[in-house]
Amino acid sequence: MSFLRSARQTRPDLRTLADEDLMALVHEGEARAFEVIFDRHSNVAFSLAYRMCGRASMAEDIVQEAFLSLWRSGARYDRGRGSVRSWVLGAVHNRAIDAFRRESVRPSVDLHVDDVAERLVAKEQTAEQVEQRDEAARVRSALQELPDEQRHVIELAYFGGFTHSQIAEMLQLPAGTVKGRMRLGLSKLRISLGDRTEVLT
Amino acid sequence: MSRHELDGGCGAGDAAAYALGALDPAEASRFVVHLNGCAVCRDELAAFRHVTWALLLAVPQIRAPRGLRRRVLQSLPAEPRRVARRAPRAAWLAGGLRPALALGGAAMLALAVASGIELGPGAPASREYRAQVLGSSGSARLRVAGSHAELVVHHLPQPSPGHIYEVWLQRRNQPPQRTAALFDVTSAGDGDVAVPGGVEGVRRVMVTQEPDGGSSVPTTPVLLQAWL
Repeated sequence: MSFLRSARQTRPDLRTLADEDLMALVHEGEARAFEVIFDRHSNVAFSLAYRMCGRASMAEDIVQEAFLSLWRSGARYDRGRGSVRSWVLGAVHNRAIDAFRRESVRPSVDLHVDDVAERLVAKEQTAEQVEQRDEAARVRSALQELPDEQRHVIELAYFGGFTHSQIAEMLQLPAGTVKGRMRLGLSKLRISLGDRTEVLT
Repeated sequence: MSRHELDGGCGAGDAAAYALGALDPAEASRFVVHLNGCAVCRDELAAFRHVTWALLLAVPQIRAPRGLRRRVLQSLPAEPRRVARRAPRAAWLAGGLRPALALGGAAMLALAVASGIELGPGAPASREYRAQVLGSSGSARLRVAGSHAELVVHHLPQPSPGHIYEVWLQRRNQPPQRTAALFDVTSAGDGDVAVPGGVEGVRRVMVTQEPDGGSSVPTTPVLLQAWL
């Protein structure tokens, strides 16, 4: 509990630091800097984990495992390869896929989550979070505009952790067709999103 | 549209499937080798990766359960930092290594070669083991001096985004044992990492590509190995 007590006494200046500067402190083993990173990105991390596995308890396990792995490998963060947010999400994504493959646990084949409301209340959102939410909505919109067959294989692969051969078997399609749909879908998203993808990441 | 695109790309969609993590491990290894010689696929993959990263950020946002914060932060003190910092390269590591070795699929190099090297008065004897690089380009050597062991790699492919190389130790009749040695490579594919705890009693030192932070058990095929 002593750690939590010290966490509550987090120095205000830490919360004013950019993620990249905090990571320099995490590199030195500064747990309070890591706490700020957690506070900034835990919602988006949990959202991704929940999106992928569809179960809150499993999503919690995945997020915990991801953040602890980031704590252990904090010295490896390289700002030249993307934002801390992307780094966190990459870890969550990898951990979820790991869990699917290790435990033979799979999310539902139906990965549509349109019925999941945006549950972050507005008063908790900073201007930056609002901007990120709006950008995320644009990406979702671009995804929704894809033909169903292209969106479906992308979602099954990326959020479901299925390989193209598994998807081909599932959908009773030739493997080449599945890969072709993936390529067409990503190419269209690339055009739809344009430079925005680089801003987001 | 380029001829490459008209043809569906060299790997006929492999760049997209790779960016989505949808290639089987063996296919992914072959595609990584292919990338080394194909600028078109490298560019396509880079563009697709921006898209897939954007997809990660695009999920509907929900609030993390309150108990999760306590759970993660409480566990931090008990979680040792496992990152392996790049060890200063000892003078005896400065010697040139053989050129990169391009190996296909199951091809393997000859078993490791050990040779004693005297470091000078008072210094522990050093042995050097050439590692086998499997299904990829690159070369690696394991240097052992007393209780200190260090793995030096050259021209290895970059780990996939969100991944890192992890070192494993295997003793006789034992499964691979996780180590704290996680490492990345430079843009030239070079790197070195200290193997914590030394290699006494170890039969094989292995490296796999794992998600950031490492894994508790190997989840991808062995990328390189050194037999002791």
